Parts: sequence; structure tokens; C-alpha cells
Amino acid sequence: MYPFGDLPGNLTAFCAALRREHGFGIGPGEIADATRVLRVIDLADQQHVRHAWRAILSNSRDTAARFDAAFDAFFFPGPAGTPQAQQPPLSGGKEQPGTAGDTSGRRPPDGDPSADVDPEIELEGARSAPAVLAEDSGTDGEPAGRWARSNYSPLAVEGQEPILLRPVPTPWRNAARLLLRRLQLGLSRRWEPARRGRRFDLRRTWRASLQTGGEAVTARWLRRAHRSPNLVLLIDGSRSMSAAQQAGLDLATAVATVTRRVEVFAFSTSLTVLTHHVRRAGTGRRMRIAISRESWGGGTSIGASLRSFLRRHGERHVGAETLIVIVSDGLDVGEPQILRDAMRELYRRAAGVVWINPLLDTPGYEPTSRGMAAARPFITTFISVHDSAGLARLARLVRVRR
Amino acid sequence: MISAADIRTRFRERGFVVDDAYATGLEIMLALQKPLLLEGPAGVGKTESAKVLAEALQARLIRLQCYEGLDSMSALYEWNYPRQMLHARLSESSGSSLEQREAEIFSDAYLLKRPLLEALTQDQAPVLLIDEVDRADEAFEAYLLEVLAEWQVTIPELGTIRARHRPHVVLTSNRTRELSDALRRRCLYLWLPYPSLAQEIEILRARVPGVSEQLADRIAHLMQVLRGLPLQKAPGVAESLDWAMALMSLHREHLDARTLEQTLGCILKVHEDRAVVDEHRAALEPYLSDAPAALEAGGYGLATDFGIGTATPRP
Repeated sequence: MYPFGDLPGNLTAFCAALRREHGFGIGPGEIADATRVLRVIDLADQQHVRHAWRAILSNSRDTAARFDAAFDAFFFPGPAGTPQAQQPPLSGGKEQPGTAGDTSGRRPPDGDPSADVDPEIELEGARSAPAVLAEDSGTDGEPAGRWARSNYSPLAVEGQEPILLRPVPTPWRNAARLLLRRLQLGLSRRWEPARRGRRFDLRRTWRASLQTGGEAVTARWLRRAHRSPNLVLLIDGSRSMSAAQQAGLDLATAVATVTRRVEVFAFSTSLTVLTHHVRRAGTGRRMRIAISRESWGGGTSIGASLRSFLRRHGERHVGAETLIVIVSDGLDVGEPQILRDAMRELYRRAAGVVWINPLLDTPGYEPTSRGMAAARPFITTFISVHDSAGLARLARLVRVRR
Repeated sequence: MISAADIRTRFRERGFVVDDAYATGLEIMLALQKPLLLEGPAGVGKTESAKVLAEALQARLIRLQCYEGLDSMSALYEWNYPRQMLHARLSESSGSSLEQREAEIFSDAYLLKRPLLEALTQDQAPVLLIDEVDRADEAFEAYLLEVLAEWQVTIPELGTIRARHRPHVVLTSNRTRELSDALRRRCLYLWLPYPSLAQEIEILRARVPGVSEQLADRIAHLMQVLRGLPLQKAPGVAESLDWAMALMSLHREHLDARTLEQTLGCILKVHEDRAVVDEHRAALEPYLSDAPAALEAGGYGLATDFGIGTATPRP
């Protein structure tokens, strides 16, 4: 049955499990609301309680999608549809190990359509949890030998290089800062106070006139605020890129050090979100992480990966203030048509598309591979970046459409 | 107190079909007096549901449409400066005392109430719809937090205005930008997905008068297939309603390949999506009836019977 005899105890334990195992951000306020709501809803109606608590305890699409599985795992840990009286008892307040994991894909017992788990989210949850193999807050210049152990760690995916995220030295950071400064995205529609501007600020002039006895001596002005850019980095993790990946990761870390408005994804044949880890690297941590082979160290399917990026993250992360940065050699094995369509859509929706191709420096290289040829017309800045000087060069050359 | 079942019936009476999760969400929003944050793909009826809620509660609907550059002056209040100045100049020689004149200038008559303040000063709790909150910038979102948490607004010249009745607040977002955690935590959260097949049929039958069971069924099935395709803009419920209306006004009782071709503009809003649909034509085929083209040839054909029953030509 329930871990505790009384309802508040169970509710608190449930919230603790949600927080601990499913990453819910639940505070005392939410718990109080969840208790308060029991006065209005029918406690005997399991679906009713489930819906009410989902609305209170979850606060995003991800958490809402994970809620039902967690609810079942906590209150109905047996096979689906087993009445509670026949379910095995839980021992003292803690959930049985493994319960949350193996019920994550289960449907609620009565198959309520509204409680359907979005397959997209489930996949995302399962795949995009890169395992941190080793982490240290140590600084640069750590002897490489220190990390040898983690290379042979049983956690490491067989035959696959883990991703190394490390703090970047000052030249990288300066170059990233330069890039953000040089990105001229035009003016936003927001007005902000300024010493000189295009619009007379009656309200502030009126206020200021109080100091001068009601006579408006100094006029106050408003001007349009500058748009601040969002960056989306898509790093090709395929085997053919292995020599140039580190520069891409360092670039991502450098950008994450100077702005929070950055999202990072790795792809090989499918997409993995790296934003969280890169941000942590940006605050001075050094770590090795292993992600699924489909996103790092596998084959290349650029077109399909970009398309899945657009479908899953496009509405949130691609807009008129977004600069897309793709780090890839363009050796695509998929249909060029898919890549062309995805690139056209990116080009149309984003402020600019930068393609960083490490092969571009190779003497005699012509970007004529099928993938590159398909993507070319929709690239606004085509460049190679190997070090911080390369990033500074990108900052000088970057072009946006508007 | 209004129960979830009650909400369902009241919404149903107004032609709006809600599922259990949604009805419960509305129920506890009314019970706990907390704002409700609705997220979901475009065209699933987020805005519409707030309107229906206002009707169902017989409350006034106050709408704040968010946009980039929305500031507190256009959301909350503004003094009517030109009128104030005019009044100040005209009353200079009126002989009234300074305090009197000041009180006159900063009185309700010169206060322009914008939606948020308007919602706080109603005699009966209104429904406040803060639409597409993701379009406003972060600064405004932070500002909104204060109003939603305290239900009060401080105007320096007038003092603090406290809500007489807490408005029922519905926020909608299309997720064009990530909302802050602080805002999310002040709200109840509901994700509105596309409706299931059965729900969509129910919605079509409730909203489009006179649509036949068969046509509603076909439309709903096709929509399910279309939403599974890799489209740039997947069609929402609004699109399927539009489409059903279009088919009704064209007097098409059957959905065949030609009709689909002619009315595709109702469902697909991006040119590239047409190519995607063409590519996946085979997935749509099972739901297209193959009514003989000859019937369609003469304008309305025999698809309508002009009220005299089905006419069968003699062999």
C-alpha cells in the first residue's frame, strides 16, 4: 500500500520522489496547494486526483508528460490494472529501486486518452540524458594522464570517445564576446530610456519636471532597444568529424561562458541536447560525458538530424533573433533533398545560418559533396574555425539576413 | 463551487468539448484561485477556451494580448498627461488650493486603466486572458509576476490598489520562447495536446452544424494522419473546423482525392508542406472515398439531393 498511513505523509513522500527521481521543481507552496485541492476534488476518483495533482505539481511539458508514469509508479507499483489492495507493499517511505525506471513507458491503467504520453518526450527523456563520466572543477592545464582512468571506465560506451567539455582560456572568451557584439540584429520593438532618442518620453519628462518646480526643463527620450541574439549550435558528432569536434565543443563552451542565450545540440544520426552540460563547462567545470552512439561517433545524417531539430525544438529555439551555427564537414549520407528542405526552413526562420566546415582550410577542398551542395544556397556565413583566432574571424565575417 | 462535471456540461452547451484533465484543471483553478498556464500547439483552442470560460461563468472577459515591446504602461495604467496638463493650466486661476488641484489631477478621471488594472478593479471577478505571454519580453514577464502574486498594483500618486475580487487568470503560450520558472511556479500548468480521434469527431459535430457523421469521421481520421507527417505547420483543431465548414459550403459530403486537392489550402499554411503531403499520399488514401468522378463533374453533382431524397437515375 502506501508508504505512510496518512495522506499528508504520502503526498510529501510522493513529492520528494518526483523531485528526486524526475527532476520536478516542487516547493512547499505546491505541496500546500496539492493538500488544499483535496478539499474540492473527489478523493475516491483516482483520475480526478491524478489530473488535479498533475496541474499543480508539474510546470512544463516535460514534467507533465512524465507525471503519469511517476504517479503510477508511486501509488500503483504493480502491473497495470491491479487493484491497490492486491499490490505489494512498499517498504518504509522509499520507493522500491527500479520502479520508476521500468514503468516509465507504461500507460495509465484505464487508457485515458488525455493522459497519453507524448512519444517524442519519452524518447527525448530516454536518450538525452548524457551520463557524466568524470567531472572536476579543476582548471585548464590538468595533466592528461589524470583522465586516462575514465577512458577505461566501464561506463564508457565501448569503442567510443567520450565528449570532453573543458573551460576555455581567455582568447576564446574574448572572441565569443566579440561575436555577440558584432551580431547586429537590428532594433527590437521595445522602447528604453536613453539620453538621446527618437521618441519623446512624456511620462519621465513630467516626473523630472517635479524637481524644477513643474517646468519641464530637460526633455527625456526613448529609443529602440537592440535585439540580443540567441545562438543555437549544432555539432556534428560523426566519426568523420572526430579531428575537428573539440574546436566545436570549445566554441560552444566559449559562447556559453559569455551568454546564457545559447542552446547546444550534438547529432550524428539523431539529436542530443548538450546545453545543460555546456553551460556547466562554461562556469569552469571540466567533464567527460558519454552520449548515445547515435549522436556521437556514429554515421552522419545531417538532413534528418536538422529536420528533427526543427520539429522538436524549432518552435522554441528558432526565431528572428536566432543565429544557427552548424559545425559539420557536410559529408551527409542521407537524401540531399531532406537536407535542402531543412536548410531552407532554417534560413527562412532564423536570422542567419553559419556553417563551420573544418575541411574548408584543406588545400584543394571544394565544397561539392552532395550534402554541401544542397546546403550551400542557404548558408549566410561559410567558414572554418580551429581555434580562438578562427572564432574572432567568424565574429568579423558573420552576416545576418536582416 | 463548480465541479469538473459541471464545467464539462457548461462548456458542452457552448459547443466546446473539453477532456477530464482540462475540466479538472479549470475546476481547481477556480477553487485555488491560482492562474492557469495553458501551453500547446497552435490552434488547439487555448484562447477560445478562455472566452468560453468567461461565458460559462457569466463573467466579463478582459484580454491582454502580449506582443514584443509590450510595457507596463500599455498593460497596467497610464496617466492621461495631455488632459492633466490642460486641467492644470485651466485651473491655475480658479482659486482652489494646491492640494485640491493636485487631488483633482491625480484622480480616477485622469487614469487610463489598461487590462491588468481593469481586471483588478471589477465588481465581479472577471476572466483575465493574458494571451501569448511568450511573445512579451522577459522584462514584462517579471513585471507580471508581481501582479499575479500579490493581486495588487501600486500607483505612486494614488496608493496601492488591491483586487476587490481575484480575477480568474488564464495565460496562454505557444512556446516560442521558454517562460521563466518563476512564472511557471505561480501557475497551474496544463499541456493541451491535439485532440484524440474520438474527441475531434465530437468537436466537429458540436461546432459545425449539419456535418454528417461520416464526413466528421473522415476529417478527423485525415487530421490524425496529417499531424503524424513531418509538416512545418501541423494543422490544429481550428484548421479542421475551417475545413469542415469549407466542405459544407461546397456541398461535398464525401472526401475524395480531388476535393482534398481543392481544399488543401484550409489545412496547410506553408507551401513546402504540400510537397510533404504529396509524398505521403499513400497514407491518406484509405480515408479518401473514391466516389465516381462523374458525380462531381456537373458542379454540385448528385452529392446534394436538394431536399428530395437521393435520386437514382434509372438504368
